[in-house]
Amino acid sequence: MTTLFTIDRGVVVALIIDSLRDLYEQNGVTTDSEPDEGTYLIGRRALLDSLGLVTLIVDLEQKIEEAFGVALTLANERAMSQKNSPFLTVGSLADYICALIDEQRNV
Amino acid sequence: MAIEWLIERMEQSRDAVAVVWQGASVSYGDLIDRVARWRAVLDEAGITAGQVVSIEGDYSPGAISLMLALIARNAIVVPLTASVAMHREEFLTIAEVQAVISFDADDDWRIERRDIPVTHELTRTLIARGHPGLVLFSSGSTGKSKAALHDFVPLLEKFKVPRHRQVTLTFLLLDHIGGINTLFYTLSNGGTAVSVRSRDPDEVCAAIERYRVELLPTSPTFLNLMLMSEAYRRYDLSSLKLITYGTEVMPETTLRRVREAFPHVRLQQTYGLSELGILRSKSRDDGSLWVKVGGEGFETKVVDGVLYVRAKSAMLGYLNAPSPFDEEGWMNTQDMVEVDGEYIRILGRRTEIINVGGQKVYPAEVESVLMQLPNVRDATVYGEKNPITGQIVAARLNLIEPEDLDSLKKRVRSWCRERLEPFKVPVKITIADGDQFSARFKKMRRA
Repeated sequence: MTTLFTIDRGVVVALIIDSLRDLYEQNGVTTDSEPDEGTYLIGRRALLDSLGLVTLIVDLEQKIEEAFGVALTLANERAMSQKNSPFLTVGSLADYICALIDEQRNV
Repeated sequence: MAIEWLIERMEQSRDAVAVVWQGASVSYGDLIDRVARWRAVLDEAGITAGQVVSIEGDYSPGAISLMLALIARNAIVVPLTASVAMHREEFLTIAEVQAVISFDADDDWRIERRDIPVTHELTRTLIARGHPGLVLFSSGSTGKSKAALHDFVPLLEKFKVPRHRQVTLTFLLLDHIGGINTLFYTLSNGGTAVSVRSRDPDEVCAAIERYRVELLPTSPTFLNLMLMSEAYRRYDLSSLKLITYGTEVMPETTLRRVREAFPHVRLQQTYGLSELGILRSKSRDDGSLWVKVGGEGFETKVVDGVLYVRAKSAMLGYLNAPSPFDEEGWMNTQDMVEVDGEYIRILGRRTEIINVGGQKVYPAEVESVLMQLPNVRDATVYGEKNPITGQIVAARLNLIEPEDLDSLKKRVRSWCRERLEPFKVPVKITIADGDQFSARFKKMRRA
């Protein structure tokens, strides 16, 4: 993606990775490598099940509201119907979140 | 007269204390005299048989004697308490109230006439029968309040069977089926109704100590408050013989703690609906959530896990909604139950079940686990829509000491994961700003 975001994408990635680490820890998930932008959130290569993903999304909504002062709904029909799922990897989720925040701020 | 038998019963206890209100005792003789005095007042105000009259008040001698006087003249009584002040106009309109008699803090009263005719077909049926009536509004937790119109005659029938004479704390409000039940149970057995100014745990415990109260009919939410505030430790509650709880599902953990706090008190679950009256019930034992419900005039059946009740004391119908009864007179209570022989265990309202990816979660089960977590004073669990799993389990917690949300979430999730299946573990966790129960001490599970 080439879009320039007005918010720091790095901060969003860090938020996601933080939340993911917490969830791994809480769910007793062990992993050889630290989560990064390429870490899968759904599908065969993901370490989270659907409940884990839902929990990650809700946690992120709460954290984003705290950090950026915007109330986002990440999981909705719109997100589910995109051709490329925003929930595929940490990186794609970060892009999606940045786009949503930008959109909200420009309203 | 519909309550001739009751007045006769009350005569037999003339010198006994019927009501304790604001520290003053009123005997049965006094109460009967007040009923007689109301006759003149009602005559003068032109309030006759078949008129719809609302009583705005609590368990004061004035309000109680007025209710008896109105029943005696076959009027239709609409009790309203301060807890529904916000809906007052709406309720008066729905019930087609023609006169309001309201009581102030000193039990002084005033009459306000409303010049409207009774047009509702059900009410007119009751008037044609020449029977007194009662209108009760449901709490409306899932939408609009429904107005249940009762014929007072079948509703009072069960009180003719003599039972225990007890000193009872009138905890449930007078405009609630549980409150009406408490009042008539007490009066028909020569017992004493002790009223409290507020339903604060300390106020309630002080009244139990002072008047040697034997029966406390209440709700799980209030019992939890009493435990958390430790009010029960500050007073001598040795007179208590029986605590009854109903109106909502009792969390297992609260029941266990109540039992530890009151080892010599019997604990009894009650079951009733404003549409049907209060069923007789018997808990399997003090620590059990299994209960047998029914009794004379009530039949029960369970279909697809839902409890149905047929009652002789059932209301005529709603004044503002379609009849909930099928052709055979059964009512779907919307309460989901488990069955074990003659006993049932109430799991929760069908409408409050949370569906997580096709799996059912009952809020009460999760709340019960959450309420054991250190630093949690109260917990409300409800469902929130989610496109991935359909719904998610959300929990809102009242804390004892302030705590950071992140650390709370971690504690909640690890606590719940050890005690619940994964799909029952709350996904969304928030901290409540205020109390999460209604004026009737019933949990409000709103998103």
